Amino acid sequence: MRQGGSSERRLPLAPTRSLAGLLFVLVAIWYGASSQNNAASYLLLFALMSVFLVSIPRTLSNLGGLQATAESIKPAFAGQEVSLPLEVTNESRATRYGIVLTLPDLGDACERIDEISADKATRTILRFPAATRGEHEIGRVHLTSVYPLGFLRVLKQLPSAQRYVVYPKQAGDQRLPAETARSGQSSSRRELGEGDDFAGVRAYVRGESQRHIDWKAVARGQALMTKQFTAEADGLLYLDLTAVRLDDLEARLSQLALWVIEAERARRPYGLRLPTVEIRPSLGEPHLHRCLRELALFK
Amino acid sequence: MKILRKQDTRIPRRPLLWLAAALLFTLPPMFGSLPSWVPLLFLIALAAKFWMEPKGYRLRSLVWKLVLVALILSLLFFSYGSLRGIEPGVSLIVMLTSVKILEAHTAREFHIMIMVAWVLCLCGFFLSQNLAIALCLLIAFTLLLVALIQFHRGSSSAFWPPVRTAGKLLAQAGPLIILLFLFFPRLSTGFRFQIAPQRGASAGFSDRLLPGSVSSLANSSEVAFRAEFPDGKIPPLRAMYWRGAVMWHGEGLEWEAPKAQVALPSTSQGPPHGQALRQWITIEPHDASWMFALDWPANPPAGAKLVPGNYLLSNQPIHKPRRYEVVSYPEIPSNRLHSREREPLLQVPADTNPAVRALAQSWSAEKAEPRAIVNKALEFFRTQGFRYSLSPGEYRKNDLEEFLFHRRLGFCEHYAASFATLMRLAGIPARVVTGYLGGEYNEIGHFFLVRQADSHAWCEVWFPDSGWQRIDPTAVVAPDRVNLGFNSFLERRGGAGQLDSQSVLARNLARWPIFGRARLGWQTLSYAWDTRVLSFDGDEQESFFASIGIAGQGPIFFIIGTLAVTIALLALYAGWTHLRTRPRGDRVKIVYESFCRKTAKLGAPRDPSEGPLDFSRRATGLLPTESDRIRRIAKAYIALRYAPAPDPTMLEQFAKEVNFFVRTS
Repeated sequence: MRQGGSSERRLPLAPTRSLAGLLFVLVAIWYGASSQNNAASYLLLFALMSVFLVSIPRTLSNLGGLQATAESIKPAFAGQEVSLPLEVTNESRATRYGIVLTLPDLGDACERIDEISADKATRTILRFPAATRGEHEIGRVHLTSVYPLGFLRVLKQLPSAQRYVVYPKQAGDQRLPAETARSGQSSSRRELGEGDDFAGVRAYVRGESQRHIDWKAVARGQALMTKQFTAEADGLLYLDLTAVRLDDLEARLSQLALWVIEAERARRPYGLRLPTVEIRPSLGEPHLHRCLRELALFK
Repeated sequence: MKILRKQDTRIPRRPLLWLAAALLFTLPPMFGSLPSWVPLLFLIALAAKFWMEPKGYRLRSLVWKLVLVALILSLLFFSYGSLRGIEPGVSLIVMLTSVKILEAHTAREFHIMIMVAWVLCLCGFFLSQNLAIALCLLIAFTLLLVALIQFHRGSSSAFWPPVRTAGKLLAQAGPLIILLFLFFPRLSTGFRFQIAPQRGASAGFSDRLLPGSVSSLANSSEVAFRAEFPDGKIPPLRAMYWRGAVMWHGEGLEWEAPKAQVALPSTSQGPPHGQALRQWITIEPHDASWMFALDWPANPPAGAKLVPGNYLLSNQPIHKPRRYEVVSYPEIPSNRLHSREREPLLQVPADTNPAVRALAQSWSAEKAEPRAIVNKALEFFRTQGFRYSLSPGEYRKNDLEEFLFHRRLGFCEHYAASFATLMRLAGIPARVVTGYLGGEYNEIGHFFLVRQADSHAWCEVWFPDSGWQRIDPTAVVAPDRVNLGFNSFLERRGGAGQLDSQSVLARNLARWPIFGRARLGWQTLSYAWDTRVLSFDGDEQESFFASIGIAGQGPIFFIIGTLAVTIALLALYAGWTHLRTRPRGDRVKIVYESFCRKTAKLGAPRDPSEGPLDFSRRATGLLPTESDRIRRIAKAYIALRYAPAPDPTMLEQFAKEVNFFVRTS
């Protein structure tokens, strides 16, 4: 996946705080040299000036041929941290040094890459707080560098269309409803994993019964997985937005998110009912994320 | 490819090490010019920093900082008496830097330290500008660049790459430095602080000749000046009397030059005789007005005057290396000596010993002719067992009797002073001249190096028929001193006992051919540094502009001119860097990307994550009219990309296809 490419835009150089210091020192040396009429001090002045000047093209070219590619982002809960994996490739023929990655639209996340050799790539993870639930765009990725002397900062702006989902914060103090949504005629609740219908697989948890391990998959060299079965959907838990007795929509969504997780933990098959969508009761990680995603995107 | 969090603001160890090394190299000019506790405390602060840093200690408390600063201020005040002037100012900067070293902790403070270190380089040049110091400060300057580069490289720990980068930066800056040094106008700021550094007493040359004043310089290897003979006419070493000052007022063994000097009117001397000797002399700063030239300088160089006694004085004290041209002649006849001039030239102290008077009068009674009297006196010095010695012991000021009749052991100043006094007693006008004799020829740089150790004193006597005549009584006592030069003279005599061990070592090393060559090379470099760099000031710049035909332009012209050339050079360099590092062209990719741009224009943009096959499927759906071409292009691209050995002609075919794609649609 590559973002940006031709649409990259380079902003002009920006001075750093060190530049002010350098200018002060240059003026001081110039004043000293001219008042003492001291040729050696003039030499020092011109040396410092020239070194600074020839470092400008270096700074300017230090981001040349760099590309940052955002990889897919795992969803996070509001209030937690989002991890954005970035792959930075150096397509130029020179090693690039001291690259700082920031996300200007998403707070002060900041990562530093000390060195990328020519034609190599490196991965880094930018972490930033997940503010509000919903689906968001990364927006821009900024690459900046002050290498080699730190007097000027060059910036490369790479727009990124990569999106990420923030689930509602898990919060609330209401208890997970009992099986109120059970339709009357069903007689008994059956434990998860003991039903007749194959519902999918999930990672094996140590200490669990080994009866439902997917041995065929193990034979194929895969990790230990437990097959899950559910009984008929009737009589199972339906988590309904309208059933949450809270005024604030966000608080209700948070409560639902918490319930979804609690139900998943308790391995009680659960469904989700929102005004816009209904998800039939089930269990397992894909189901969990589907429910949370619906909660995140609900408007 | 380690990854480091930026929030970690502690100074990493490696840049700190480089910075410390740079600071060490700013120290040499301070030793010798500042009270030694200043650089020592600085060193201690540096060492303490490296002890404190791993433990996480640092100077945090504001109270302690204030106490330290107050302590430093009072120490400096007690040792200098005031805080004005170069040395106290530099000492203050050094001491405050030491406190800053103890305090510095964050990345920002690291940068401040770098800036301060650059100011310390400047301070070093205020204290001393000789080549050795300049090289030290160049190393310090480079190490500061290395420290900055290492800092911005972060955790990469290789030793040489940052050094190499700093070297490259300096090398690339070289042409710019030369350009700016030559052409950037040396504006005077108007508000000058002209405070000369106070130099040690070892600088030597003085307007008084005291017993022991010249011999005290005999061990000083400090350079007095260097001389070149641009016309290639080099006088023999024994005739190389560098005239410095003329002492008229004599009191036995003590002689003195007049204080206030007016320029000699040009009418007072006749036309010069003999071969003209042109000299380029580069004088080391001594903070006085002395200027030297071979006997006899005919005309004063710019900014100097020729004073009675035919010697040169600078109008301004010499605070930095200065190069001047002067022409000398073996003889410049003076006009008549008036009786009122003659009078002071015969004065002797009233308390002169009767035995000394009797000696002089015995010569003048015997022979009336002045030359005969002079020969008689020289005969006396030759035959009466006088010996030449660096350490003749102490003589009192008017102790001619002790010298002439008992101890008979002296250095050139004793001989010159006693000879001149004897001549005056014998009725011949006489004076003492001080200066230098000989010098060391550098065959690499083709110049003579004259050291303080070459200091010499001799006499001049007045003959009514020919005027002033140089008489060197030392030449009679120790002829080799005059013929061989001072160093060789000492060597031949095995005078090691009279020298400190350090100069003996230096002298022994110099006997090895390699060290000898190295020494000559170093002297040549040092000479070039003084003449080409240090003496290049505003006036030199003016004459340089005149020599290349761009004189008379205002400073604005030169500022804009150097700026324009600088920018052009930078643009060239930037272009070169860009060409050198730009990504290698992948033709297949470039062509395919142009194809994708074209489809995007037609309403079928490729998703960055879309493979070529998926995209071609989607694009054919979106652009059914172009489906054949799109499929062909996708197929060609896949073949070029993934086939083990693609047909070279295929790329051309592919490029043509893509090219054709846009024109028809």
